[in-house]
Amino acid sequence: MRLRIAYTKVEDARYIAHLDLTRVFERAVRRAGIAMSYTEGFNPRPKISFGFALAVGTEGEREYVDIDIQRELDLGEVLGRIQEQLPPGIRLLQGRALTQGAKPLMAVLNAASYRIRILMALPILPERLQEAIRLWLAREHVTYLRYTKKGPTDKDIRPWVKRLEGEVHGDEIIFELEVEMGNAGSVRPEEVLASLRELENLPLDMEELHVKRTGVHVSYQGENSSPYEQLSEQ
Amino acid sequence: MSKFTAAEIRRQVERFLPKVLKPSRYLGSEWNAIKKDWAKTEVHMAFAFPDVYEVGMSHLGTRILYHLVNSFPEFLCERVFAPWVDMEETMREKGIPLYALESFQPLQAFDVVGFTLQYEMSFTNILNMLDLAGIPLRSAERGIADPWIIAGGPCAFNPEPLVGFIDFFLLGESEEQLPEVLRLIAEQKLNPLPRRDFLVRVAQVQGVYVPDFYHVSYKPDGRIEGIKAEAGVPAVVEKAIVQDLDQAFFPTNPVVPYLEIVHDRMMLEVMRGCSRGCRFCQAGMIYRPVRERSQETLLKQAEDLVRSSGDYSCIQPVIESILEKHGEEGVGVSLPSLRVDSFDVDLAESVQKTRKSGLTFAPEAGSQRLRDVINKGVTEQNLMEAVETAFKKGWSTIKLYFMVGLPTETQEDIDGIVDLAKKVANVGTKLGRRNITVTISTSFFVPKAHTPFQWEPQEAKASVDLKQRYLREKLRDRRFKYNYHDVKTSYLEAVFAKGDRRLAPLLEWAVKHGARFDGWSEQFREDVWMDAFKEFGIDPHFYANRAMDYDDILPWEHLESGVTKQFLVSEHHRALQEAKTIDCRHDECSGCGICPGRGVQIELKG
Repeated sequence: MRLRIAYTKVEDARYIAHLDLTRVFERAVRRAGIAMSYTEGFNPRPKISFGFALAVGTEGEREYVDIDIQRELDLGEVLGRIQEQLPPGIRLLQGRALTQGAKPLMAVLNAASYRIRILMALPILPERLQEAIRLWLAREHVTYLRYTKKGPTDKDIRPWVKRLEGEVHGDEIIFELEVEMGNAGSVRPEEVLASLRELENLPLDMEELHVKRTGVHVSYQGENSSPYEQLSEQ
Repeated sequence: MSKFTAAEIRRQVERFLPKVLKPSRYLGSEWNAIKKDWAKTEVHMAFAFPDVYEVGMSHLGTRILYHLVNSFPEFLCERVFAPWVDMEETMREKGIPLYALESFQPLQAFDVVGFTLQYEMSFTNILNMLDLAGIPLRSAERGIADPWIIAGGPCAFNPEPLVGFIDFFLLGESEEQLPEVLRLIAEQKLNPLPRRDFLVRVAQVQGVYVPDFYHVSYKPDGRIEGIKAEAGVPAVVEKAIVQDLDQAFFPTNPVVPYLEIVHDRMMLEVMRGCSRGCRFCQAGMIYRPVRERSQETLLKQAEDLVRSSGDYSCIQPVIESILEKHGEEGVGVSLPSLRVDSFDVDLAESVQKTRKSGLTFAPEAGSQRLRDVINKGVTEQNLMEAVETAFKKGWSTIKLYFMVGLPTETQEDIDGIVDLAKKVANVGTKLGRRNITVTISTSFFVPKAHTPFQWEPQEAKASVDLKQRYLREKLRDRRFKYNYHDVKTSYLEAVFAKGDRRLAPLLEWAVKHGARFDGWSEQFREDVWMDAFKEFGIDPHFYANRAMDYDDILPWEHLESGVTKQFLVSEHHRALQEAKTIDCRHDECSGCGICPGRGVQIELKG
């Protein structure tokens, strides 16, 4: 039985590295007394797979995981038993059994949305903010200097950004950002804001920002849907 | 008092946690972590492991004591590890004090901070952690608002280089002793006695060593003239022993880390102590007598652990029963390094069902003569038989551990390592096995307190370096892989293993000048240490390379493991005569002195 489960990764759980997350789920399922399916070969691994990695420290309000278990069990009971064994911050929101041949998460997910709270280094008027966002989005290319293992490289980050909105709330700005994600890469929310700050001269305090991934989506012809909706169409 | 509250520390740390390496090292919210109410507990203890999280969490003793203390409703115990250098740098930059993982309370807020002394190379981390916590390093500079700083573990059997920093040490097994100490601290909080009076009281607990009460005088040549205990405390402090290991506390709901730790598995303690009597081995002397746990106890513990070696006489049935019961749930069993003479291929096969990666054997010395000197009761025949069966059963990597610089070692013994490695590889070649690898690892012998070799000097660094180079040349063959230990750290280890309290200011100086994580070769700062010796006019050779007389007063003369000095002397004699001493489990009593008068005895369950 293959399960697709939506969960949160908030509070302390946001510091769990993506590579460690498999182990956290594996051990929780084991403690729950549910037998998982394992890969064949010399070094059997449990069949647990995720969507695109969440950066360490970034909260996720709705992430997805696929888990293969050996037997057909009542969905509600399985979720309940696993939930009891998960560390704080990981809460199971919804689960569904996958039909045979359902594509893995990595093959269907291609977009993500973020909410970013950031402190203003100097007061910014709402009009000024809207103007900056409009100008930034109007650019066809936005070059951003990224430091990789091979050294600094220039990347065009504009193509990945699908939507960017912002609003002033007291001494901070709340941005809503939607980006494309794929095997070819993506853009990090911090990069978008750093670029906005630099190119449009917005005094944002990059040391005081809080990023939350509000969702991951299956985006098709401008419409976002969840990896569950994909399922029902099949 | 620290200006930081737990909430403030947490708020600040969360801001930079995503930027440090492995942030989940610094959170105390793992599965089974225990978060107790500060207001509802009488004594608050921070259990401090002076190395990184992944190392500390792999240590069984730490796990036992953490859960043991928390099993008392009136006590609270939280964990703290040495922050890795990047985290330390950020904490210092922002002025954030070292905090305990569960509550984020600064260490300063605890009643007691207990360090575990697992290896000498972590001593600098202890001082660095205190400094990072804003706690004065010296006992004399600490006040009533500061926690008691205590320490236990194997290095507590010669803790002299830490005298002045630690209020008191706990020698031996802490399962009964530590709660007793905490009870005294609880009383002290309610009805405070003057510091000195409290220390006299705590010194009455079995195995508690309060160094302030012991005065050391020195001869003009630097050797110790005498160690004098004040009235009211034991002249010699003798370790604490758990009376009934089978029924002793063992945690079956251990903390499950988020990140991969060094030994990422549940542990069962099948036995404690070893009477094989290897003459270099400190653990083999200070954890006597041998006590085994019963099969029933272990199976019950394994069962609980799933929901959440080598020498042990019942190991086979225990492992079989565990695998029979839990094998289908994907539970595997692993064993620490195996002894060649008790090596059982069926056992090795049953634990390594899925992967036949490598088998490790520790002959320790290259010739039979030298193995007799160190009393490692293993023969070449034992090794060859074990290796042959292993190759036949499909293993392709054999790892061999040796020590270089052992007492009486000659060139022949070094050549013996090469010969043995070749013979092992040839066994595989003869069986038609291709792609076999024989990994040879050598470490540099460090004489340790309370062993028959405690009087021995460490061999000169330069000469051991030559021997390791020689081995590197001789082991150039695609079937061999040669690893060797850095001589510089082993040299410093010997200085501290045999050191006395005159090293304390030097240790402090080295920490102030950047020494920490000395066991991590990329962090080891030889220059700082050499400057430190110069600064204090202390000759490291005096400690590491001087042969001591039986009449010399040892820095740990007033600390007692239960194994008598006569026994150690006689074992040293026998070593020099190349005479073996047989394990008392299988033969007559060898007279080490541990059993009489302590209400303990060898306990075998097989």
